[in-house]
Amino acid sequence: MGEEKKRTAREIIENYDGPAVRIMEVCGTHTHEIFRLGIRKLLPPQVELISGPGCPVCVTPVGFIDEAVWLALEKNVTICTFGDLVRVPGTKMSLAGAREKGAKIRIVYSPADAEKYALEHLEEQVVFLSVGFETTTPAECLSVKQAKKDELSNYSLLMANKAMPQAYEALKGSADVFLYPGHVNAITGTELCEHLTEEGVSGVVAGFTAKELLTALAVSLVKFQEGKPFFVNCYPRVVKPEGSREAQQLTEEMTEACDSEWRGLGVIPRSGVCLKKEWSDFDARKKYNIPPIQGKANPACRCGDVLQGKCKPSDCKVFGKVCTPQHPVGACMVSNEGACSAYYAYGDNTSATRG
Amino acid sequence: MSSLKDKTVTMAHGAGGRQTSELIDQIFAAHFANPDLTADDAAVLTPPAGKMAVSTDGFIVSPAFFPGGNIGKLSICGTVNDLACMGAKPLYLTCAFVIEEGFPMEKLEEIASAMEKTAAEAGVHIVSGDTKVAGKGQVDGVFITTTGMGQIEDGVKVGGTLAQPGDAIIVTGDVGRHGCTILLAREDFGIEADVTSDCAPLWKTVEAVMNTTHDLHVIRDATRGGVGTVLYEIAGQSNVGIRLDAASVPVAPEVRGVCGMLGLEPLYLACEGRMVIMAPKDEAEKIVETLRQCPYSKDAAIIGEVTADQPGKVVMTTEIGTQALLPQPGGELLPRIC
Amino acid sequence: MCVGLSAKVVKISEGTAVVDAGGAKRKVSAQLLEDLEPGDYVMVHAGVAIAKITDEDDDETDQLMEELL
Repeated sequence: MGEEKKRTAREIIENYDGPAVRIMEVCGTHTHEIFRLGIRKLLPPQVELISGPGCPVCVTPVGFIDEAVWLALEKNVTICTFGDLVRVPGTKMSLAGAREKGAKIRIVYSPADAEKYALEHLEEQVVFLSVGFETTTPAECLSVKQAKKDELSNYSLLMANKAMPQAYEALKGSADVFLYPGHVNAITGTELCEHLTEEGVSGVVAGFTAKELLTALAVSLVKFQEGKPFFVNCYPRVVKPEGSREAQQLTEEMTEACDSEWRGLGVIPRSGVCLKKEWSDFDARKKYNIPPIQGKANPACRCGDVLQGKCKPSDCKVFGKVCTPQHPVGACMVSNEGACSAYYAYGDNTSATRG
Repeated sequence: MSSLKDKTVTMAHGAGGRQTSELIDQIFAAHFANPDLTADDAAVLTPPAGKMAVSTDGFIVSPAFFPGGNIGKLSICGTVNDLACMGAKPLYLTCAFVIEEGFPMEKLEEIASAMEKTAAEAGVHIVSGDTKVAGKGQVDGVFITTTGMGQIEDGVKVGGTLAQPGDAIIVTGDVGRHGCTILLAREDFGIEADVTSDCAPLWKTVEAVMNTTHDLHVIRDATRGGVGTVLYEIAGQSNVGIRLDAASVPVAPEVRGVCGMLGLEPLYLACEGRMVIMAPKDEAEKIVETLRQCPYSKDAAIIGEVTADQPGKVVMTTEIGTQALLPQPGGELLPRIC
Repeated sequence: MCVGLSAKVVKISEGTAVVDAGGAKRKVSAQLLEDLEPGDYVMVHAGVAIAKITDEDDDETDQLMEELL
């Protein structure tokens, strides 16, 4: 073993000669960075990386876009949103399409900016498209708190927030090792991951720099060869075992679990997050009585299968032909983090075949 | 000249009567005066010897005034630089204004003054112009269209189809500054950074390079879509591969910081004073040395090479030494959160 | 899933912090973090400082590799 001490993470990855292993990067930012850094090129053939469902834009169902379009066009509401959502196709149109029809769509950096816009434009009704996982939800809650403090009656959230634990349950069988999403764990801590180890689910929390990703992969491969379920926090400079108590308390105080639809995975009970009753003035669905909308995805689009690792983007008939980043058919082609978008953008043959 | 203070452009200024003449006299003729500028329906010019390059470009930018320039300066630089990309010395330029009713005269003068200064620097004469006024809300402030004519130097043949495997790829300075400046100037994202536009007329720069060597294959200004888009365009037009060394692309730390905050790629942010040059490797050092003597290209660098393999693709050497495709530009730049 | 930005805190006032990343500055919420001081590094997501961090990944990855092998 003395020799081995000198091996770098990269050497461990490149020279891995253990059994076949499927590693799922749950987080879309991991997918993106792994492609950007060309890490797939280092992997021997028996190491398979699967892109998971951790891109809030990708898992947001078509019906959510339809609701936002309805608010913008029928209720004349100003929609504030993260940029990623603007080009996601709805049943009839995307938000970009609604903008062409005169809808007011503003791209913001943070929910706080949306709240501030509402404060400065009291004559407008402002709805923030609240998507995201545990990392983003606190920012959205804070904006509602601020709106209450500012006594705003023109600000609310259209929520599609989601929480990861139930998704892990749904994904349990689809990989041997999970690269856990570092910034979610920064909020939630690592208790759940450790608990999953007891159920036989292995994983590591990974950071986002080249070094952090290579280290997380090397740790995964070495531990996987040892044959026992494992959990390692490979991102301790950001992720503490207890997570962020403040963020957890805030989310607990203001939100509760609800059923939620995930594109591709269907409705997962109690996987969604919505505002508690006492905050319902800030819930756009209640405030505007949004009618139930059943969104219809393009039937040829296989985003759903892609998100579950059941097929590769290149297996989808419309991929790269009808469906491109310029003319996306499904959400996975829109978001920078989407597996389809990443395959399309970086998709030379070597990475596609190893996908 | 009567004071322009507190005066605004009115519909009457676009109606063709006395007030139109006043506007032209007080602002445009005052700033654009040169022997070729016409008050008639068309400028009468002596055509240059040899071949000519002609280019037209419309300019809309919000805000019209930004750190490092304004729409007037931009409207000269953009067209002059397009001519320079064909190895053409800019000679003549026409400009058409569409001005929103209510636009402050002082601002209009500031724009005209920037055009005067930039045209003088680039050595181009504004020979003919047009002014229209549009109703409030029909345009955003002021739109300018310029058309430039230039004389192609003898023995120069450059173009997007002429890149050859073995060429070195040079960028004349740090990338993405203009796009970043505009993004910040719109104040949509609450970010502050000390970034000014790279907007500059580059004919003198290109001339200096051509005086160093005529062995040049491609010169292209990286405007909308940035350097990344130019590289993909050339890879397609010349049917070659491009290998880009990500680490050697000059990016100002502030631009990198802003891009980090918003999830943007600096290679896809617009420049308005940067050229991408492709030329045989043996000439590259000489070209870079020349560029570094010029005022707008002190940070010129070799950022990659043209290859025969993977035609149509731009392959990056990443920070860990692997190869990865530069993602293709995806249309509208949307700051992302996820 | 969540783009994070590591940035240096340059100013603190009433629940907000001004952070600096390579010269780009922005006001972010500091409501989730107690006892922030100028000079601290934080991870920022969607305009909120979500965790106090160490800026460099060297020590972290070195130590992980040390423990692994």
